[in-house]
Amino acid sequence: MVAPEKVDVAIVGAGMSGSIFAAVLAKAGKKVVLLEQGPDWQLGDLISSDIWGRRIKPTTAQVVLQGKNPVGYGFNFGHGTGGAALHYFANFPRLLPSDFKVKSQYGRGLDWPISYDDLSPYYDKVARDVGVSGDDKAEEIWRPKGEAYPMPPLKSFRHGQVWLKGFEQIGIRMVPAPVAINSTDYNGRPACIYDGWCHVGCPIGALANPQVTYLAEARKAGATVRPFCTTTRILTNAAGTKATGVEYYDEKREKQVQEASVVILAGAAVSNPRLLLNSATDKHPKGLSNASGLVGNYVMTHFAGATWAIFDEDVQSHMGITGAQFMSYDKHPKTSHKDAFGSTFWVAGLALKTSDLAGFANARGDLFGPELAAFMKRAKPGLTRVQGFGEEMPDIENRVELASEKDDFGMPLPKVTHSYGPDVIALWNAILEEGVAAAKAAGAKEAWPARPVIPTIHMTGGTIMGTAANNSVANSYGQSHEIANLWIGGAGLFPTEGAANPTYTLDAVALRGAEHLAANWGTIAN
Amino acid sequence: MLPMERRAFMQGAAMGALAFSVGGVDVLLTAREARAQGAAFKTLTPEQVATLEALGETLVPGAREAGVAHYVDAQISGPADNALLIARVMNVRPPYANFYRVCLGALEKACQAQTGKNFAALAANEQHDLIEKLRTNKLEGWQGPPPPYVYAVMRGDAIDVVYGTMAGYEGLGIPYMAHIAPEKRW
Repeated sequence: MVAPEKVDVAIVGAGMSGSIFAAVLAKAGKKVVLLEQGPDWQLGDLISSDIWGRRIKPTTAQVVLQGKNPVGYGFNFGHGTGGAALHYFANFPRLLPSDFKVKSQYGRGLDWPISYDDLSPYYDKVARDVGVSGDDKAEEIWRPKGEAYPMPPLKSFRHGQVWLKGFEQIGIRMVPAPVAINSTDYNGRPACIYDGWCHVGCPIGALANPQVTYLAEARKAGATVRPFCTTTRILTNAAGTKATGVEYYDEKREKQVQEASVVILAGAAVSNPRLLLNSATDKHPKGLSNASGLVGNYVMTHFAGATWAIFDEDVQSHMGITGAQFMSYDKHPKTSHKDAFGSTFWVAGLALKTSDLAGFANARGDLFGPELAAFMKRAKPGLTRVQGFGEEMPDIENRVELASEKDDFGMPLPKVTHSYGPDVIALWNAILEEGVAAAKAAGAKEAWPARPVIPTIHMTGGTIMGTAANNSVANSYGQSHEIANLWIGGAGLFPTEGAANPTYTLDAVALRGAEHLAANWGTIAN
Repeated sequence: MLPMERRAFMQGAAMGALAFSVGGVDVLLTAREARAQGAAFKTLTPEQVATLEALGETLVPGAREAGVAHYVDAQISGPADNALLIARVMNVRPPYANFYRVCLGALEKACQAQTGKNFAALAANEQHDLIEKLRTNKLEGWQGPPPPYVYAVMRGDAIDVVYGTMAGYEGLGIPYMAHIAPEKRW
């Protein structure tokens, strides 16, 4: 068997951050290979069905989940090219300046090594690259001015509009939500047709998943995707100073070595620390980039406090987009809610389908039998939901480690421990009360909070960025503090998470890192 | 999975149907059609089928005829990576067949202990009462995963086959509005 030829860049994972690194580096003339554990999904695979849509999500066969609030792995993560961004809702809020300085400003959590101003130009670049629809002027009541969004807001529907009066009455201003979905034709991609199937993958290319944005650009520039390839180790030189490539098992389950001048870990926030830990050598006995002992630590999730309501009109909640029509940062200040700490990000106007975790039938998870059937009929015209995303502070006990159990290739499974603390519970309760108050003020004929299970949504942290090797895993570009040609992409780099959906910030961080790597290639590559 | 089965599955996935065996011949059917035609079960035992159908019907009226047992059987009989079950997004750890074996067994055991009968043999109101105890974690002597979790997963399957299909949307008067419609209507 012939070993694969050495390449400039080996990227582990073909989700959003891997696609961004691949696009930038391939366009800079580098030979790029993406090793993707799952299938190579095409737009034509994306059947409009909650049932069939589960194929693009992972099973939990390869992970051990524990803690009081186990991470919602199967629902949130990706399986195959596009990663989680193949089924994300494309809500595109950004973090606000205070999110980067939580430790300095509040004495809690951690600081980012960069500020909002460092990332701001990349938010603007990403918006141009992928196409964002929104009202930047309206948002600037909360954030510094940036470039205008390339497209006006999407159309709104009654299931979003009905909430506006209620939120206004409880002092929360709602504005059009920014989304990475086309409100007009953009860059050769069509405008949205508002059929509410975003969450199972948009096959028309209106929603900016990697397949129609950065991954497409990367392929056009010559990058190669190898599906069904499971990376098991990052390889380093004898001195432990440089990454030399990766070891992986190919689609025939045969062991391969891909040599590379630069290695980029762009898997999910679970798999990146797993690989770093599993790549220990005598020079790096605790795992790569782990002098601080922080690889795997400070895992965070978001939690949504959802409120359901039935209005006395046909709100057509099957229409629109799975993400949000309207949003608010009015409860972003971290002490907005009495006796709780952390930001809240409100969204309204989420399209609903009948089944799956967030569908009609789970609006009343307590009902079954004839009572459920009656509810489905009764709720159909007027049912709608709002939710406030809440911020969890980084806690060193929430972490990814290696389990004793191994996968088919002999690699230890990742063990993810996650529990919410009292701040989260307090904030969740406050968000639920606020949502019910908004529903009542909006004139809903019925309103109820989504209890009793507090959800775990998104996942950040685990390979946090920081100022030095003793307080973090990587620098602000995603470059390992210890091995210059080993890079990390994704939301695992976030030291704090804010309350906003993470992908826009993930994109901006990855684009900033990729451009820095391309510009400094000569001093970084092996 | 054998190559032929895999081809059938992939074709089925593209069409929105599942592979079932009727009279020894592999055919692509919806779960409802599979039940109506008496398609063979691959993994579930006759006792488990009876329990699952009765449980599904108790949770969501119409689930029995919608083929909840055929649906689950088809999903747990192939590789977990191909499974479409709601278990996948509820952190149930594969192999999924184990989860159903354990949960259905635990339900029967608890049912026998409380009533001296199989779950499928109970009257509808007795079935409802037992499931209310499952939902609220009040089933004495339960030996299995947390009862409210089992309730939620099994309820999810029944919802899928009754409300998650194109026919289910039609029944509720909700336009399905597919980008890529599952040809077999689910």
